[in-house]
Amino acid sequence: MLDVHLDSWLREFGPRGKERLEADSVEHLLDALEEKYPRLRFKIRDETGRLRRYVRVFVDGEDVSGTTGVETPLVGVQTIDILHSIAGG
Amino acid sequence: MAEREKFRILVGTRKGTYIVEGDTGRRRWKIGPVAHEGAEIYHVVADPRNPGTLFAAVNSDFWGPMLQRSRNWGKTWQEVSTPLTPVKKDRQPLFNDADPTTPVPRPLRNLWRIEPGHASEPDTVYLGADPHLLFRSTDLGQSWVPIPAINEHPARKGWSPGAGGACLHTILIDPREPKRIYLGLSAVGTFRSEDGGTSFRPTNKGVLAPFLPDKHPETGQCVHHVVQDARDPDTFYRQDHGGMYVTHDRMERWTRIGKPLGDDFGFGVASPRAAPGRAYFVRLDGMARVTGDGHFQVHEWNDAKRTWRKLVRPGAFPGHYGVQREGIATDDLDPAGIYVGTTTGQLFVSPDAGRNWQLVPFQFPGIHSVSLGNPPAG
Repeated sequence: MLDVHLDSWLREFGPRGKERLEADSVEHLLDALEEKYPRLRFKIRDETGRLRRYVRVFVDGEDVSGTTGVETPLVGVQTIDILHSIAGG
Repeated sequence: MAEREKFRILVGTRKGTYIVEGDTGRRRWKIGPVAHEGAEIYHVVADPRNPGTLFAAVNSDFWGPMLQRSRNWGKTWQEVSTPLTPVKKDRQPLFNDADPTTPVPRPLRNLWRIEPGHASEPDTVYLGADPHLLFRSTDLGQSWVPIPAINEHPARKGWSPGAGGACLHTILIDPREPKRIYLGLSAVGTFRSEDGGTSFRPTNKGVLAPFLPDKHPETGQCVHHVVQDARDPDTFYRQDHGGMYVTHDRMERWTRIGKPLGDDFGFGVASPRAAPGRAYFVRLDGMARVTGDGHFQVHEWNDAKRTWRKLVRPGAFPGHYGVQREGIATDDLDPAGIYVGTTTGQLFVSPDAGRNWQLVPFQFPGIHSVSLGNPPAG
Protein backbone atom coordinates (compact mmCIF):
# COMPACT_ATOMS: atom_id res chain seq x y z
CA MET A 1 0.00 0.00 0.00
CA LEU A 2 1.13 3.52 -0.81
CA ASP A 3 0.77 6.54 1.43
CA VAL A 4 -0.53 9.39 -0.71
CA HIS A 5 -0.27 13.00 0.45
CA LEU A 6 -1.96 15.90 -1.33
CA ASP A 7 -1.22 19.57 -0.77
CA SER A 8 -3.79 21.78 0.89
CA TRP A 9 -5.14 23.08 -2.44
CA LEU A 10 -5.81 19.60 -3.79
CA ARG A 11 -7.36 18.52 -0.50
CA GLU A 12 -10.20 20.88 -1.39
CA PHE A 13 -11.17 18.35 -4.07
CA GLY A 14 -9.91 15.10 -2.51
CA PRO A 15 -8.99 13.41 0.75
CA ARG A 16 -8.54 15.70 3.74
CA GLY A 17 -5.66 13.66 5.12
CA LYS A 18 -3.34 10.84 4.11
CA GLU A 19 -4.82 8.32 1.67
CA ARG A 20 -3.72 4.67 1.38
CA LEU A 21 -3.98 3.16 -2.10
CA GLU A 22 -2.55 0.35 -4.15
CA ALA A 23 -1.24 0.94 -7.67
CA ASP A 24 1.64 -0.18 -9.91
CA SER A 25 2.17 3.14 -11.69
CA VAL A 26 1.51 6.85 -11.18
CA GLU A 27 -1.17 6.68 -13.86
CA HIS A 28 -3.02 3.88 -12.09
CA LEU A 29 -2.60 5.62 -8.76
CA LEU A 30 -4.23 8.75 -10.17
CA ASP A 31 -6.96 6.61 -11.74
CA ALA A 32 -7.70 5.12 -8.32
CA LEU A 33 -7.57 8.47 -6.61
CA GLU A 34 -9.96 10.05 -9.12
CA GLU A 35 -12.29 7.06 -8.91
CA LYS A 36 -12.58 7.56 -5.17
CA TYR A 37 -12.68 11.37 -5.34
CA PRO A 38 -14.36 12.36 -8.62
CA ARG A 39 -13.85 16.08 -8.02
CA LEU A 40 -10.12 15.49 -8.49
CA ARG A 41 -10.70 14.46 -12.10
CA PHE A 42 -8.93 16.84 -14.49
CA LYS A 43 -7.49 18.86 -11.62
CA ILE A 44 -4.20 16.91 -11.53
CA ARG A 45 -4.20 15.73 -15.16
CA ASP A 46 -5.83 17.23 -18.20
CA GLU A 47 -8.12 15.11 -20.34
CA THR A 48 -5.21 13.86 -22.46
CA GLY A 49 -3.79 12.25 -19.32
CA ARG A 50 -0.84 14.62 -18.97
CA LEU A 51 0.00 16.17 -15.61
CA ARG A 52 -1.11 19.77 -15.47
CA ARG A 53 1.59 22.36 -15.85
CA TYR A 54 2.18 23.15 -12.19
CA VAL A 55 1.53 19.73 -10.65
CA ARG A 56 4.52 17.91 -9.20
CA VAL A 57 4.44 14.22 -8.31
CA PHE A 58 7.13 13.01 -5.90
CA VAL A 59 7.80 9.26 -5.66
CA ASP A 60 9.58 8.55 -2.40
CA GLY A 61 10.78 12.13 -2.48
CA GLU A 62 11.90 12.22 -6.12
CA ASP A 63 10.10 14.58 -8.53
CA VAL A 64 9.10 12.51 -11.57
CA SER A 65 6.86 15.18 -13.15
CA GLY A 66 9.38 16.25 -15.77
CA THR A 67 10.87 12.79 -16.40
CA THR A 68 8.87 9.57 -16.40
CA GLY A 69 5.67 11.36 -15.34
CA VAL A 70 2.51 9.31 -15.14
CA GLU A 71 4.31 6.28 -16.56
CA THR A 72 6.55 6.00 -13.52
CA PRO A 73 6.35 2.46 -12.06
CA LEU A 74 5.60 2.20 -8.35
CA VAL A 75 7.40 -0.99 -7.39
CA GLY A 76 8.73 -0.97 -3.84
CA VAL A 77 7.53 2.59 -3.36
CA GLN A 78 6.10 3.78 -0.04
CA THR A 79 5.15 7.44 -0.36
CA ILE A 80 3.64 9.66 -3.03
CA ASP A 81 3.38 13.43 -2.64
CA ILE A 82 1.26 15.38 -5.10
CA LEU A 83 2.03 19.08 -4.81
CA HIS A 84 1.98 22.29 -6.78
CA SER A 85 5.11 24.10 -7.80
CA ILE A 86 5.76 27.69 -6.85
CA ALA A 87 4.43 29.67 -9.77
CA GLY A 88 2.36 32.63 -10.76
CA GLY A 89 2.51 36.37 -10.38
CA MET B 1 -31.59 48.65 -0.76
CA ALA B 2 -34.29 46.46 -2.30
CA GLU B 3 -33.00 43.68 -4.51
CA ARG B 4 -34.74 45.07 -7.60
CA GLU B 5 -33.04 48.44 -7.11
CA LYS B 6 -29.55 46.98 -6.94
CA PHE B 7 -27.30 47.47 -9.87
CA ARG B 8 -24.29 45.24 -10.42
CA ILE B 9 -21.16 45.35 -12.50
CA LEU B 10 -19.62 41.90 -12.94
CA VAL B 11 -15.86 42.13 -13.27
CA GLY B 12 -13.63 39.24 -14.34
CA THR B 13 -9.99 39.86 -13.49
CA ARG B 14 -6.59 38.18 -13.54
CA LYS B 15 -7.09 37.34 -9.87
CA GLY B 16 -10.74 36.59 -9.37
CA THR B 17 -14.35 37.67 -9.80
CA TYR B 18 -15.55 40.97 -8.37
CA ILE B 19 -19.20 41.91 -8.04
CA VAL B 20 -19.54 45.69 -7.81
CA GLU B 21 -22.84 46.77 -6.34
CA GLY B 22 -24.45 50.16 -6.76
CA ASP B 23 -27.77 51.75 -7.55
CA THR B 24 -29.26 52.98 -10.77
CA GLY B 25 -27.69 56.40 -10.20
CA ARG B 26 -24.46 54.64 -11.11
CA ARG B 27 -22.26 56.97 -9.08
CA ARG B 28 -21.68 55.11 -5.80
CA TRP B 29 -20.27 51.62 -5.68
CA LYS B 30 -19.54 48.92 -3.15
CA ILE B 31 -16.99 46.22 -3.89
CA GLY B 32 -17.96 42.63 -3.18
CA PRO B 33 -18.63 39.79 -3.08
CA VAL B 34 -15.25 38.63 -4.38
CA ALA B 35 -14.70 35.04 -5.48
CA HIS B 36 -12.29 32.73 -7.31
CA GLU B 37 -9.29 34.48 -5.76
CA GLY B 38 -6.15 33.87 -7.78
CA ALA B 39 -7.87 32.47 -10.87
CA GLU B 40 -8.06 34.09 -14.29
CA ILE B 41 -11.67 35.01 -14.95
CA TYR B 42 -12.15 35.56 -18.66
CA HIS B 43 -15.90 36.15 -18.52
CA VAL B 44 -18.64 36.61 -15.95
CA VAL B 45 -22.23 36.85 -17.11
CA ALA B 46 -25.68 37.17 -15.58
CA ASP B 47 -28.44 34.96 -16.95
CA PRO B 48 -31.30 37.38 -17.67
CA ARG B 49 -33.79 34.49 -17.74
CA ASN B 50 -32.92 33.38 -14.21
CA PRO B 51 -32.41 36.41 -11.92
CA GLY B 52 -29.58 35.83 -9.50
CA THR B 53 -27.85 33.24 -11.65
CA LEU B 54 -24.31 34.10 -12.73
CA PHE B 55 -21.78 32.05 -14.68
CA ALA B 56 -18.02 32.52 -14.53
CA ALA B 57 -15.33 31.20 -16.85
CA VAL B 58 -12.67 30.30 -14.29
CA ASN B 59 -9.28 29.51 -15.78
CA SER B 60 -6.24 28.32 -13.87
CA ASP B 61 -2.86 26.91 -14.78
CA PHE B 62 -3.15 24.89 -11.57
CA TRP B 63 -6.61 23.37 -12.00
CA GLY B 64 -7.38 23.80 -15.62
CA PRO B 65 -10.61 25.49 -16.71
CA MET B 66 -13.76 25.35 -14.61
CA LEU B 67 -17.25 26.62 -15.22
CA GLN B 68 -18.71 27.98 -12.01
CA ARG B 69 -22.25 29.07 -11.31
CA SER B 70 -23.82 31.19 -8.61
CA ARG B 71 -27.53 31.25 -7.76
CA ASN B 72 -27.33 34.23 -5.40
CA TRP B 73 -25.65 37.07 -7.29
CA GLY B 74 -22.15 35.83 -6.58
CA LYS B 75 -22.36 35.32 -2.81
CA THR B 76 -21.52 31.63 -3.24
CA TRP B 77 -20.34 29.67 -6.27
CA GLN B 78 -20.36 26.02 -7.26
CA GLU B 79 -18.34 24.21 -9.88
CA VAL B 80 -20.72 22.86 -12.50
CA SER B 81 -19.85 20.46 -15.26
CA THR B 82 -17.00 21.66 -17.46
CA PRO B 83 -16.91 20.21 -20.96
CA LEU B 84 -13.72 18.44 -21.98
CA THR B 85 -12.08 17.50 -25.21
CA PRO B 86 -12.94 13.78 -25.22
CA VAL B 87 -9.59 12.30 -26.15
CA LYS B 88 -8.77 9.92 -23.34
CA LYS B 89 -9.52 6.24 -22.90
CA ASP B 90 -13.20 5.46 -23.25
CA ARG B 91 -14.08 8.74 -24.92
CA GLN B 92 -14.06 9.16 -28.65
CA PRO B 93 -11.51 11.59 -30.04
CA LEU B 94 -12.87 14.99 -30.84
CA PHE B 95 -10.86 15.27 -34.03
CA ASN B 96 -10.84 12.81 -36.85
CA ASP B 97 -8.11 10.29 -36.02
CA ALA B 98 -8.61 8.57 -39.37
CA ASP B 99 -7.11 11.62 -41.02
CA PRO B 100 -3.34 11.55 -40.43
CA THR B 101 -3.07 15.25 -41.16
CA THR B 102 -5.28 16.06 -38.21
CA PRO B 103 -3.35 17.92 -35.53
CA VAL B 104 -2.75 16.23 -32.21
CA PRO B 105 -5.75 17.09 -30.05
CA ARG B 106 -5.08 19.63 -27.38
CA PRO B 107 -6.83 19.62 -24.03
CA LEU B 108 -9.40 22.25 -23.22
CA ARG B 109 -7.26 25.22 -22.32
CA ASN B 110 -9.40 28.17 -21.35
CA LEU B 111 -13.08 29.04 -21.21
CA TRP B 112 -13.74 32.31 -23.01
CA ARG B 113 -17.42 33.03 -23.41
CA ILE B 114 -20.59 31.95 -21.65
CA GLU B 115 -23.74 32.91 -23.51
CA PRO B 116 -27.18 32.30 -22.01
CA GLY B 117 -29.49 30.99 -24.73
CA HIS B 118 -32.55 32.54 -26.31
CA ALA B 119 -35.37 33.71 -24.05
CA SER B 120 -37.55 30.88 -25.39
CA GLU B 121 -34.94 28.30 -24.25
CA PRO B 122 -34.55 29.10 -20.56
CA ASP B 123 -32.17 26.24 -19.73
CA THR B 124 -29.88 26.56 -22.75
CA VAL B 125 -26.37 27.95 -22.38
CA TYR B 126 -23.57 28.13 -24.93
CA LEU B 127 -19.90 27.99 -24.06
CA GLY B 128 -16.95 29.03 -26.20
CA ALA B 129 -13.50 27.70 -25.37
CA ASP B 130 -9.92 27.28 -26.49
CA PRO B 131 -9.03 25.45 -28.77
CA HIS B 132 -11.83 26.85 -30.97
CA LEU B 133 -14.58 24.80 -29.36
CA LEU B 134 -18.30 25.35 -28.97
CA PHE B 135 -20.56 23.51 -26.53
CA ARG B 136 -24.25 23.69 -25.72
CA SER B 137 -25.96 22.83 -22.47
CA THR B 138 -29.72 22.39 -22.14
CA ASP B 139 -29.62 22.09 -18.34
CA LEU B 140 -27.96 25.35 -17.28
CA GLY B 141 -24.46 23.93 -17.47
CA GLN B 142 -24.90 20.58 -15.73
CA SER B 143 -23.92 18.75 -18.92
CA TRP B 144 -22.53 19.76 -22.29
CA VAL B 145 -22.84 18.61 -25.86
CA PRO B 146 -20.07 19.49 -28.34
CA ILE B 147 -21.17 21.18 -31.57
CA PRO B 148 -19.57 19.14 -34.38
CA ALA B 149 -20.15 21.79 -37.05
CA ILE B 150 -17.38 23.78 -35.35
CA ASN B 151 -15.52 21.24 -33.22
CA GLU B 152 -15.05 18.84 -36.13
CA HIS B 153 -15.07 21.43 -38.90
CA PRO B 154 -13.15 20.02 -41.88
CA ALA B 155 -11.03 23.17 -42.18
CA ARG B 156 -9.98 23.36 -38.55
CA LYS B 157 -6.63 21.71 -39.13
CA GLY B 158 -5.69 24.97 -40.84
CA TRP B 159 -6.92 27.11 -37.97
CA SER B 160 -4.18 28.73 -35.91
CA PRO B 161 -4.37 30.38 -32.51
CA GLY B 162 -4.02 34.11 -32.02
CA ALA B 163 -1.85 35.64 -29.32
CA GLY B 164 -4.54 34.97 -26.73
CA GLY B 165 -4.97 31.38 -27.87
CA ALA B 166 -7.44 29.59 -30.09
CA CYS B 167 -10.37 31.34 -28.51
CA LEU B 168 -13.98 30.97 -29.48
CA HIS B 169 -14.92 34.21 -27.80
CA THR B 170 -18.10 35.54 -29.35
CA ILE B 171 -21.51 33.83 -29.38
CA LEU B 172 -24.60 35.80 -30.41
CA ILE B 173 -28.16 34.51 -30.68
CA ASP B 174 -30.63 36.33 -32.91
CA PRO B 175 -33.38 37.61 -30.56
CA ARG B 176 -35.99 36.88 -33.29
CA GLU B 177 -34.80 33.38 -34.13
CA PRO B 178 -33.01 31.06 -31.68
CA LYS B 179 -31.66 28.90 -34.50
CA ARG B 180 -29.66 31.81 -35.93
CA ILE B 181 -26.33 31.82 -34.15
CA TYR B 182 -23.25 33.92 -34.83
CA LEU B 183 -19.72 33.06 -33.67
CA GLY B 184 -16.36 34.80 -33.48
CA LEU B 185 -13.13 32.75 -33.43
CA SER B 186 -9.70 34.30 -33.02
CA ALA B 187 -7.54 34.06 -36.14
CA VAL B 188 -10.39 32.29 -37.96
CA GLY B 189 -13.18 34.86 -38.22
CA THR B 190 -16.94 34.99 -37.88
CA PHE B 191 -19.53 32.33 -38.75
CA ARG B 192 -23.31 32.16 -38.96
CA SER B 193 -25.67 29.26 -38.48
CA GLU B 194 -29.30 29.32 -39.62
CA ASP B 195 -30.10 25.86 -38.27
CA GLY B 196 -29.34 25.96 -34.57
CA GLY B 197 -25.68 25.04 -34.96
CA THR B 198 -26.04 22.06 -37.29
CA SER B 199 -23.99 23.94 -39.86
CA PHE B 200 -21.96 27.14 -39.87
CA ARG B 201 -20.87 29.31 -42.77
CA PRO B 202 -17.98 31.83 -42.66
CA THR B 203 -19.04 35.49 -42.83
CA ASN B 204 -15.92 37.57 -43.29
CA LYS B 205 -16.43 39.30 -46.64
CA GLY B 206 -14.91 42.75 -46.59
CA VAL B 207 -12.71 42.17 -43.55
CA LEU B 208 -9.00 42.68 -44.02
CA ALA B 209 -6.44 40.08 -42.91
CA PRO B 210 -3.29 42.24 -42.99
CA PHE B 211 -1.13 39.46 -41.57
CA LEU B 212 -1.87 36.92 -44.36
CA PRO B 213 -0.61 36.77 -47.95
CA ASP B 214 -4.23 36.75 -49.15
CA LYS B 215 -5.61 39.94 -47.58
CA HIS B 216 -9.27 38.95 -48.05
CA PRO B 217 -9.56 35.19 -47.43
CA GLU B 218 -12.81 33.39 -46.65
CA THR B 219 -11.49 32.68 -43.15
CA GLY B 220 -8.35 33.59 -41.23
CA GLN B 221 -9.35 37.09 -40.13
CA CYS B 222 -8.63 37.68 -36.48
CA VAL B 223 -11.93 38.90 -35.10
CA HIS B 224 -11.55 40.35 -31.61
CA HIS B 225 -15.15 40.98 -30.65
CA VAL B 226 -18.59 41.50 -32.21
CA VAL B 227 -21.80 42.93 -30.76
CA GLN B 228 -25.31 43.11 -32.15
CA ASP B 229 -27.28 46.32 -32.53
CA ALA B 230 -30.17 46.54 -30.08
CA ARG B 231 -32.76 47.76 -32.60
CA ASP B 232 -31.67 46.00 -35.76
CA PRO B 233 -30.53 42.40 -35.14
CA ASP B 234 -29.12 42.27 -38.67
CA THR B 235 -26.59 44.97 -37.77
CA PHE B 236 -23.34 44.14 -36.01
CA TYR B 237 -20.28 46.10 -34.94
CA ARG B 238 -16.94 44.35 -35.14
CA GLN B 239 -13.53 45.05 -33.70
CA ASP B 240 -11.07 43.04 -35.71
CA HIS B 241 -7.31 42.87 -35.79
CA GLY B 242 -7.76 44.41 -39.21
CA GLY B 243 -9.88 47.36 -38.07
CA MET B 244 -13.38 48.43 -37.01
CA TYR B 245 -16.33 47.26 -39.11
CA VAL B 246 -20.12 47.33 -39.42
CA THR B 247 -22.53 45.05 -41.28
CA HIS B 248 -26.26 45.52 -41.89
CA ASP B 249 -27.04 42.21 -43.55
CA ARG B 250 -26.36 39.47 -41.00
CA MET B 251 -22.64 39.61 -41.68
CA GLU B 252 -22.95 38.96 -45.41
CA ARG B 253 -20.73 41.94 -46.11
CA TRP B 254 -18.66 44.04 -43.70
CA THR B 255 -17.73 47.71 -44.21
CA ARG B 256 -14.68 49.17 -42.56
CA ILE B 257 -15.59 52.25 -40.53
CA GLY B 258 -12.45 52.84 -38.49
CA LYS B 259 -10.19 54.38 -41.10
CA PRO B 260 -11.00 58.00 -40.12
CA LEU B 261 -9.50 57.21 -36.72
CA GLY B 262 -6.13 56.28 -38.22
CA ASP B 263 -5.01 53.22 -36.32
CA ASP B 264 -8.34 51.42 -35.75
CA PHE B 265 -6.93 48.51 -33.82
CA GLY B 266 -8.54 47.44 -30.56
CA PHE B 267 -10.21 44.54 -28.80
CA GLY B 268 -13.55 45.50 -27.30
CA VAL B 269 -16.78 46.97 -28.62
CA ALA B 270 -20.20 47.55 -27.09
CA SER B 271 -23.56 48.86 -28.27
CA PRO B 272 -26.21 50.15 -25.86
CA ARG B 273 -29.88 49.17 -25.81
CA ALA B 274 -30.94 52.76 -25.11
CA ALA B 275 -29.14 54.15 -28.14
CA PRO B 276 -29.41 51.78 -31.11
CA GLY B 277 -27.15 52.68 -33.97
CA ARG B 278 -24.31 53.62 -31.62
CA ALA B 279 -21.24 51.57 -30.88
CA TYR B 280 -18.38 52.26 -28.51
CA PHE B 281 -14.78 51.33 -29.30
CA VAL B 282 -11.52 51.88 -27.42
CA ARG B 283 -8.85 52.46 -30.03
CA LEU B 284 -5.45 51.02 -29.17
CA ASP B 285 -2.02 51.34 -30.68
CA GLY B 286 -1.64 48.30 -32.94
CA MET B 287 1.84 47.51 -31.69
CA ALA B 288 1.79 48.57 -28.05
CA ARG B 289 -1.82 47.41 -27.46
CA VAL B 290 -2.53 50.39 -25.19
CA THR B 291 -4.22 53.75 -25.78
CA GLY B 292 -1.68 55.32 -28.06
CA ASP B 293 -2.74 58.93 -27.59
CA GLY B 294 -1.50 58.96 -24.01
CA HIS B 295 -4.92 59.13 -22.38
CA PHE B 296 -8.11 57.16 -21.91
CA GLN B 297 -10.54 57.64 -24.75
CA VAL B 298 -13.73 56.02 -26.03
CA HIS B 299 -14.89 56.59 -29.59
CA GLU B 300 -18.59 56.53 -30.40
CA TRP B 301 -19.72 55.41 -33.85
CA ASN B 302 -23.03 56.90 -35.04
CA ASP B 303 -24.21 54.46 -37.65
CA ALA B 304 -26.99 56.63 -39.07
CA LYS B 305 -24.74 59.65 -39.62
CA ARG B 306 -21.62 57.54 -40.24
CA THR B 307 -19.60 59.77 -37.94
CA TRP B 308 -17.22 59.36 -35.04
CA ARG B 309 -17.18 61.27 -31.78
CA LYS B 310 -14.76 61.28 -28.85
CA LEU B 311 -16.54 60.72 -25.56
CA VAL B 312 -13.80 61.57 -23.08
CA ARG B 313 -12.23 65.00 -22.71
CA PRO B 314 -8.68 64.50 -24.00
CA GLY B 315 -6.27 64.43 -21.12
CA ALA B 316 -8.90 63.82 -18.46
CA PHE B 317 -7.32 60.46 -17.67
CA PRO B 318 -3.71 60.51 -18.87
CA GLY B 319 -1.98 57.17 -19.26
CA HIS B 320 -1.52 54.16 -21.49
CA TYR B 321 -4.47 51.84 -20.91
CA GLY B 322 -5.04 48.37 -22.31
CA VAL B 323 -8.61 47.11 -22.83
CA GLN B 324 -9.41 43.52 -23.70
CA ARG B 325 -12.17 41.99 -25.82
CA GLU B 326 -14.69 41.75 -22.99
CA GLY B 327 -13.49 44.99 -21.45
CA ILE B 328 -16.30 47.28 -22.66
CA ALA B 329 -19.94 46.94 -21.66
CA THR B 330 -23.12 49.00 -21.66
CA ASP B 331 -26.22 48.75 -19.51
CA ASP B 332 -29.89 48.93 -20.49
CA LEU B 333 -30.72 52.25 -18.84
CA ASP B 334 -31.45 55.52 -20.64
CA PRO B 335 -29.09 57.31 -20.88
CA ALA B 336 -26.86 54.30 -21.27
CA GLY B 337 -24.10 53.56 -18.82
CA ILE B 338 -20.75 52.70 -20.36
CA TYR B 339 -18.22 50.60 -18.47
CA VAL B 340 -14.59 50.06 -19.45
CA GLY B 341 -12.17 47.85 -17.53
CA THR B 342 -8.46 48.08 -18.18
CA THR B 343 -5.62 45.60 -18.08
CA THR B 344 -4.12 47.64 -15.25
CA GLY B 345 -7.24 47.39 -13.11
CA GLN B 346 -9.07 50.69 -13.56
CA LEU B 347 -12.84 50.55 -14.04
CA PHE B 348 -14.16 53.61 -15.87
CA VAL B 349 -17.88 54.37 -15.69
CA SER B 350 -20.01 56.86 -17.56
CA PRO B 351 -23.58 57.02 -16.20
CA ASP B 352 -24.78 59.25 -19.06
CA ALA B 353 -23.73 57.82 -22.43
CA GLY B 354 -20.24 59.24 -22.29
CA ARG B 355 -20.93 62.82 -21.16
CA ASN B 356 -19.22 62.33 -17.78
CA TRP B 357 -16.72 59.74 -16.64
CA GLN B 358 -15.54 58.55 -13.26
CA LEU B 359 -13.31 55.82 -11.94
CA VAL B 360 -14.76 53.25 -9.57
CA PRO B 361 -12.63 54.00 -6.48
CA PHE B 362 -11.00 50.62 -6.27
CA GLN B 363 -7.81 49.25 -7.80
CA PHE B 364 -8.76 45.90 -9.35
CA PRO B 365 -6.32 43.32 -10.64
CA GLY B 366 -5.97 43.48 -14.42
CA ILE B 367 -9.48 43.32 -15.88
CA HIS B 368 -10.43 40.74 -18.50
CA SER B 369 -14.18 41.25 -18.65
CA VAL B 370 -16.92 43.65 -17.66
CA SER B 371 -20.64 42.91 -17.90
CA LEU B 372 -23.83 43.98 -16.18
CA GLY B 373 -26.02 42.11 -13.75
CA ASN B 374 -29.79 42.56 -13.59
CA PRO B 375 -29.79 45.81 -15.56
CA PRO B 376 -33.26 47.28 -15.12
CA ALA B 377 -35.13 48.00 -18.33
CA GLY B 378 -34.47 51.53 -19.52
